[in-house]
Amino acid sequence: MSSSNTGVQGLALRLEAVWYRHMRVYTRHLVSNGLPPFLEPLIFLVGIGLGLGRYIDSMDGFPYLEYLASGLLVTASMFTAAFECTFGTFIRLEFEKTYDGMLGAAITSSDLMVGEVIWAGSKGLFFSLAVLIVILAFGILPVGLTLVTPLVGMLTGLMFGALGIAVTSFVNNINHFNFFFSGFLSPMFFFSGVVFPVENLPRVVRPLAEALPLTHAVRLSRALALNAVEARHLWDFLYILVFTVGVGWFGIVNIRKRLID
Amino acid sequence: METPAIRVVSLHKTYQNDIHAVKGLSFTVAAGSCFALLGPNGAGKTTTMKILYGKARPDPQGETVIEVLGFDPRRDELDIKVQTGVVPQDNALDEELDVMRNLLVYARLNGIRGRRAVERIDELLAFMELIDKRNASVRELSGGMKRRLAIARALLNNPRLLILDEPTTGLDPQVRHVIWDKLRSLMRSGVTVLVSTHYMDEAYQLANRILIMDHGEAVLEGHPASLMETHMERHVLEVTNAARASRVDAALGDGNGDDIRVERSAERALYYGNALAPLEDAARRLDFGEYVLRPANLEDLFLKTTGRQLNELQ
Repeated sequence: MSSSNTGVQGLALRLEAVWYRHMRVYTRHLVSNGLPPFLEPLIFLVGIGLGLGRYIDSMDGFPYLEYLASGLLVTASMFTAAFECTFGTFIRLEFEKTYDGMLGAAITSSDLMVGEVIWAGSKGLFFSLAVLIVILAFGILPVGLTLVTPLVGMLTGLMFGALGIAVTSFVNNINHFNFFFSGFLSPMFFFSGVVFPVENLPRVVRPLAEALPLTHAVRLSRALALNAVEARHLWDFLYILVFTVGVGWFGIVNIRKRLID
Repeated sequence: METPAIRVVSLHKTYQNDIHAVKGLSFTVAAGSCFALLGPNGAGKTTTMKILYGKARPDPQGETVIEVLGFDPRRDELDIKVQTGVVPQDNALDEELDVMRNLLVYARLNGIRGRRAVERIDELLAFMELIDKRNASVRELSGGMKRRLAIARALLNNPRLLILDEPTTGLDPQVRHVIWDKLRSLMRSGVTVLVSTHYMDEAYQLANRILIMDHGEAVLEGHPASLMETHMERHVLEVTNAARASRVDAALGDGNGDDIRVERSAERALYYGNALAPLEDAARRLDFGEYVLRPANLEDLFLKTTGRQLNELQ
């Protein structure tokens, strides 16, 4: 047999290889995977814009459709990343045994999970970009700092990918993810400033809303989309970083016992 | 003397559910040889193999030594895996990708990219006789093709050590012989092979050295032929109708001098002996179809050492 052994490749290349696996799987069905990210915001914005939007003149000083659109830029990222790193990760771990095969190659279990989170970030970027394209195509928001919002989508993807791994590390039955989605993500969609300002919540629950990860992603994306960036948004950025690294680190350590006997 | 490919001393592994899978196992695999771990399900073969490439962690015990190609998997898992090929028991192929992409992804995980990866893949698909399945989906492959694909995948990084967990379990005789031939050709090119199996003929076909394991412990170790020589009688008379065994008992009981070992179950009786003549004499008292007189094989040795009773995992 020809060719010689290669040495161990560096961390970045190992992560890229894990990412490459997910990209290959995702792009295998381009139409069924690539189209819905565009259709969802389209349906949502048309539905709300033609329906509810007519009854609400402004929200927090902005036309309602603009207000809503600036929040929707990151919610799709949240859902796709959370889905990828809960159901997706669980299926690869427990049902398809994909990881058992991959761990025979020269990568570690941490490489595998970090690569998973990076892939969730990429999907976050793509889903956010799809929403942005729809928004710009309908002229809902002007071109400008709006163009940066997919990066917030990517951060959102990384954050919820990390959270997904942490949740998955505890789950033994795939149905238990329903608690995470119905009990945490769906309510969060309504109480983190996407459809109405967090400031409108009763004073008692406001700190709770501030603790939610989506609140900060929405605030950041809205500040960029509505051209209202202030110094205080640095805190939202920091929250996202600390949450992603902290929860991600915990999740990756905690899921190791499921990957390594 | 050349450094061994694998050296394991006093290996222990206890799972979270308190199953003590490996109990103080020690063995050495010489570079370039084929070493077979033999044992019933639950003997600890898979666990031992997983520990060698970092997929399982051994119990933390001071006296445990694990060296694979000069590295300790507890510390240098990547240095081992980059020069090792692994064929897990259930293949663990990527069902979401076709044959080519399965191999492309795996090559990349091992640091082989671009044209070099494609060339290597085509070479291995040809070697494993899978070239016309290049673009097939993994789901539509037969069990034998999946196994060959898993072996091709393990060879991508041109490994010095190949670890195969029950490579031919559940495969038909043609595929088994093809796989054995491929493994022999790899061994000829200097690859060290560690194989687990519960097929005695497989161990006999491939291995220079076998280790019979049971309940996480080594029972016997050595060259297959010399193990037979020292631990097993040469011939066996298998009486398939236990009700007729009394005739054999009578024939063998009349003091013809040779030691006969008898194993009995409800349906059968087996008479082991080194001399053929007394067994032949005894067989004449039975009707055609009531007995088999044959040379003892590794399976008899296996059953002798690991017992005929089923354990809780079988």
